[in-house]
Amino acid sequence: MRNTAPAGNLAATGVVPGFPQAGRIAARGSTVLALFGALIIWLALLGPFAVLIQHLSLHSIRAALGPPGALGPLWISLGASAIALGVMVLFGTPLAYLLARGRLPLARLVELGIMLPLMMPPLVIGLLLIFLIGPQGTLGNLLADIHLTGVNTFFALIVAEFYEAAPFYVLGAHAAFSSVDPRIEQDATLLGDRPLQAFWRITLPLAAPGLATGLATAWARAMGAFGAVIIVAYYPRGLPNQIFIAFQEFGLSGALPFALLLVVAALPLPILAYLWSARTRARVAGAETP
Amino acid sequence: MSPKAPPLLEVDIEVKRRQVVVEASFALDAGERLAIFGTSGAGKTTILESVAGLTRLSRGKVRVENKLVAGRVKGEATMAPRHRQVALVRQPTTLFPHLTAEQNVAYAIRHSPAGTRVDELLERLGLSSLARARGAALSGGQRQRVALGRALAGPFRVLLLDEPLSAVDIAAREPLRLLTIETSLARDAAGILVTHDLAEAQAFSDRLGIIDGGQLLQVGGALEVVLSPATRRVAELVGYAGFVPHPARPGCWYAIHPDRLVHATVPERGVVLEGTVLSTRPFGLRYECTVTTRSGEQFTVHLDTPPPGGTEASFTAIDPPLVGA
Repeated sequence: MRNTAPAGNLAATGVVPGFPQAGRIAARGSTVLALFGALIIWLALLGPFAVLIQHLSLHSIRAALGPPGALGPLWISLGASAIALGVMVLFGTPLAYLLARGRLPLARLVELGIMLPLMMPPLVIGLLLIFLIGPQGTLGNLLADIHLTGVNTFFALIVAEFYEAAPFYVLGAHAAFSSVDPRIEQDATLLGDRPLQAFWRITLPLAAPGLATGLATAWARAMGAFGAVIIVAYYPRGLPNQIFIAFQEFGLSGALPFALLLVVAALPLPILAYLWSARTRARVAGAETP
Repeated sequence: MSPKAPPLLEVDIEVKRRQVVVEASFALDAGERLAIFGTSGAGKTTILESVAGLTRLSRGKVRVENKLVAGRVKGEATMAPRHRQVALVRQPTTLFPHLTAEQNVAYAIRHSPAGTRVDELLERLGLSSLARARGAALSGGQRQRVALGRALAGPFRVLLLDEPLSAVDIAAREPLRLLTIETSLARDAAGILVTHDLAEAQAFSDRLGIIDGGQLLQVGGALEVVLSPATRRVAELVGYAGFVPHPARPGCWYAIHPDRLVHATVPERGVVLEGTVLSTRPFGLRYECTVTTRSGEQFTVHLDTPPPGGTEASFTAIDPPLVGA
């Protein structure tokens, strides 16, 4: 944002050498155009939500979510996503930090590996996961020895969600850690901190807004994961699967209540994370004084 | 005679940078302070970062209390940063941006010697009213005060200062300088200040080092280096603004300092120079004149009452040092 400020001011004052009047008109024109474009994008993005609200009736919600066990898919999705996120944070955070500090050999290759699941169609990931952790795979055999089956189990659901969501967290955390000046970490260690203390007192609070945003995005992806999930974990039925099945069996009106449930369950965390990180960033940037 | 104890800080380093190879070798005892003066890009910051153990050395080592801080010595590991007892004030200032001024200064208090008082320090730094402000709300000079306070409140035996007062108003520097020297003496520490301000360098320390192109050219007393520069380059750096060849010794010059000239002919006090006054301009409370000698050398002189431009005049350089190339 800050980088664009001078250019914006230039346009607003209409400084086009030689043609001050023409410059002012052009500047005003481009501002109107930009505002119009922004509005269109914003409306287009919000459109589906409007439709969702418009087409829901209290009756259909009660009919779909009322029966006993109807909320089962919600608990399954919440549980699997929470575990997938926990694993992501536990292993993804150190990975992102080491990448950001350039302490990994072949960092580019590692980064590419993290991004690969993002570039692959989720359905294909699902198929490949069957080979990887399914009963006929080598890893699957090992998993079977500890009574973990990689197909149509809660474990498989977690793995599938992890594949769809983890890159968002690791890449977000990578960016967050990169934004922290390594020199101030050095300052903290010279002032007597152990490396882990410096991480806890300096790096983590400064990277927290970015980490929260990455985590929130990953959470939304995990909750909504479908492509890989429907291949390797048709059961146990999470919310996205439930939406798909209800849609096939009862049509739009049967699927929409579950869609609402998914949105209501998945969205608050990202929105809170966004608001919190925006406030924290503003405070550190000095926009808000104590 | 008992064997002399090793100095508190021993530095003997070579660091390869893209532009220059930085080489320095010196030692400081407890309570000693060294100011390193040089132009920007001369390698001043590199020396500080090397002493703090933050730069990879291409050769040499740094020891604090006879323990290895930087460099490779067989069978001896370098100390972890937290054990080095080195405080570093960087340029540009690096504060912890999410913490207030007070929290920055108090950051290392848990590792500091008992009796370190943050409130007292904030007051002496002139930061009492800004204790709860964060870095982004502070001016450049205020940020430098916070950074200085953070270093002084921390645990250290070696204090490294990279232009710590450059953004502080000149009138406000003296109390901060005193605070720095006092604290460093109280901790029985060694101090290194790097600056491109000669007056600042001399005010901070009793020893002065001149660095140029990565080389520490001369180290000596704060006044001694200026009075008797070892080479023509050192003389240029410390303010000599004219060089007149020695009549009998080729390759040797009298170094002429603008403040060590009188507008009179006094051969028994130094070297008499005659020439034409080229130009005159105000210089603080005095005037600065540029003069050309008959043989074509130029020098500048600071005078209370300058001769008019274009006139012939005679000056005496008081005991000018003789410098080689």
